[in-house]
Amino acid sequence: MSPILESAAGFKFDNVKRNQLLSEKGNAAPRATKTGTTIVGLIFKDGIILGADTRATSGPIVADKNCEKIHYLAPNMYCCGAGTAADTEFTTSMASSQLALHSLNTGREARVATAMTMLKQYLFRYQGHIGAYLVLGGYDVTGPHLYTIHAHGSTDKLPFVTMGSGSLAAMSVFESRWRAGLSREEGIELVKDAIEAGIFNDLGSGSNVDVCVITRNNVEYLRNYVMPNERVEKEQSYKFAPGTTEFIVPKPPATLSGEEEGTAMDVSA
Amino acid sequence: MAPLKPGEVSMGTTIMAVQFDGGVVVGADSRTTTGTYIANRVTDKLTKVHDRIYCCRSGSAADTQAVADIVKYHLALYAAQHGEEPTVKVAASLFQEICYQNKSTLMAGIIIGGWDKVDGPSVYDIPLGGSLHKQPFALGGSGSTFIYGYCDKVYHTDMTREECIEFVKNSVSLAMTRDGSSGGVIRLAVITEDSVERMFVPGNELPSQYLG
Amino acid sequence: MTSIGTGYDLSVSTYSPDGRVFQVEYAQKAVDNSGTAIGLRVKGGVVLAVEKIKHSRLLVPHSNRRIMTAGKYIGVASAGWMSDTRHLVKRVRDEARSYNDVYKTKIPASIIAERLGMYVQAYTLYSSVRPFGVSTLLACMDRNGPQLYMVEPSGQYVGYRGCAVGKGKQVAKTEIEKLNFDNMSVREAVKEAARIIYTAHDDTKDKLFELELSWVCEESNGLHEHVPQDLYDEAVQYAERSLDEDEDEDNEMEDDEDL
Repeated sequence: MSPILESAAGFKFDNVKRNQLLSEKGNAAPRATKTGTTIVGLIFKDGIILGADTRATSGPIVADKNCEKIHYLAPNMYCCGAGTAADTEFTTSMASSQLALHSLNTGREARVATAMTMLKQYLFRYQGHIGAYLVLGGYDVTGPHLYTIHAHGSTDKLPFVTMGSGSLAAMSVFESRWRAGLSREEGIELVKDAIEAGIFNDLGSGSNVDVCVITRNNVEYLRNYVMPNERVEKEQSYKFAPGTTEFIVPKPPATLSGEEEGTAMDVSA
Repeated sequence: MAPLKPGEVSMGTTIMAVQFDGGVVVGADSRTTTGTYIANRVTDKLTKVHDRIYCCRSGSAADTQAVADIVKYHLALYAAQHGEEPTVKVAASLFQEICYQNKSTLMAGIIIGGWDKVDGPSVYDIPLGGSLHKQPFALGGSGSTFIYGYCDKVYHTDMTREECIEFVKNSVSLAMTRDGSSGGVIRLAVITEDSVERMFVPGNELPSQYLG
Repeated sequence: MTSIGTGYDLSVSTYSPDGRVFQVEYAQKAVDNSGTAIGLRVKGGVVLAVEKIKHSRLLVPHSNRRIMTAGKYIGVASAGWMSDTRHLVKRVRDEARSYNDVYKTKIPASIIAERLGMYVQAYTLYSSVRPFGVSTLLACMDRNGPQLYMVEPSGQYVGYRGCAVGKGKQVAKTEIEKLNFDNMSVREAVKEAARIIYTAHDDTKDKLFELELSWVCEESNGLHEHVPQDLYDEAVQYAERSLDEDEDEDNEMEDDEDL
């Protein structure tokens, strides 16, 4: 590739063939950290409630036991992310700054549909290579809106949604208990239960429940709303009685006793 | 014709559009899938691209949404520049241009239906390769294979508005029960000079048929 | 033009202190020096007519046409520099084709005029280019019936029922204004167009000229073409006879004065 075509930004596909050959020979490419995740959102009487678990995994390892998956987009909008952790983080922060500029330019509060369109067009452009699966919720002049956005750029607008590896468990909770006109308390309870369904039944999800309640003029970010996996006091003490193991106290060497003084310096002329 | 990528959201679908004297009836099922999981059971696959022009989307959800958004923009621009509504033919032509030029990266089968003051009601079909076919009625999506015979048998050229609505309901219902990738509810739109009427049939109120 | 010669007429990217762009006005002069061209829009179609001035008897009849076809149903008649005209006709053809590729529909006259207008206007913006020395008459039949537009060197474009450019435009306009557009067939319009070109022709300045006549109408199946030979001959006869009658009248009046 000629130097003039080199770009600092975006993806390069120069090594596709090479990598294909390597993986055929048994040298698989390293994988990015994916958050096996449960994220959800629903519409209730006065707005939107978003929920997420807080486990980040890399392969079989829990990389972070209490990460944040509900990202800030705008004062009236938040977005849950599943998929590749780095991609959800950067995609939402990029959208966030674009929305801030957009509001400054228009002198208005950004609309949820605008954020949705920005995100879907960005993700579509990268044909699924940016692995961000999002639940977008917010309240604007036209009311409450809730969307899911898949990594390939497709969107759905629904009254209750779930995403991530725990989405099936969470959806079963929503499908059996969601109804139109839920109260704030009922909504939070349902979101909590849906996330807990993911935490307890999906290997990729775990730790705590984050909740975010978005209404006309207010946002409540309930970080660690529930912590169902806290380490509790041990039922028995496993401390050993003093003197269980014998040990020897060696005599310290004489030079370190502190008694001896150094030779005085000769200061005579 | 790009195959579906892993994890991509697809619309294994049944869609159709039928012309009658004063307008067009478009219909679709409501199922969107990712692999074996139903990502959306109440999807609206009938997308408005202008006042009296709708498209029925099948294939990749992301691709067809992107294409429909682009065409919607171009039709709005056309209306502003020409000072008059675009024809269904113009809309179909724009869809075709995009589908054909990007055939290697797109997975999109689209049916366009609508009414305009030049040609009246019309239906156009753009299958996977990006060809364009003007037809009195069109079927699309994975579910359509199950009902071609039924539709050819039942369809006749001088159907009334009500007959068309029944025809679409019956056809989509049959496809939905035999095609695993189609299901949910039936969504309909009746497009005439005066209005666009949206209707839907709940999944538990489908026309009666043999269910084994 | 008081500010001529003060340096404000050298570039299109400089306005004169009284807010004019002289290069554009000079381009208009190039148009005014050209043989007359007129367009008539009547109920059933559009007629274009041009007074093609010949600088030599050696020219082959009907060569170097000043009325051209740009895309089957679009007629272009121009006044001004022929080389510029050919360039603009190519532009119109390209626009018509690209419109058809995208929309699979014939380009409407208003859109051709708009796009050609935008193109011509772009040449009034940069010091590195010269404005087109051409006024273009566009004739075509579209969904909304017969259409006639004129695009000027400034990029301004206007739709007309009848219009004239070139040397004899004053005379021609006066004649055009007398016509009854609502009750005139296309064939009648062809004959009137011929008469007006003959009337506008100044024999003392240019001896030799050739009349060009074209139309877009139902009789031509909506296509733009030069009128059939029999109609052409009929129109020329009509034009010559009208001129003779006018002369006779003039002579009679002179006689009267003598008495």
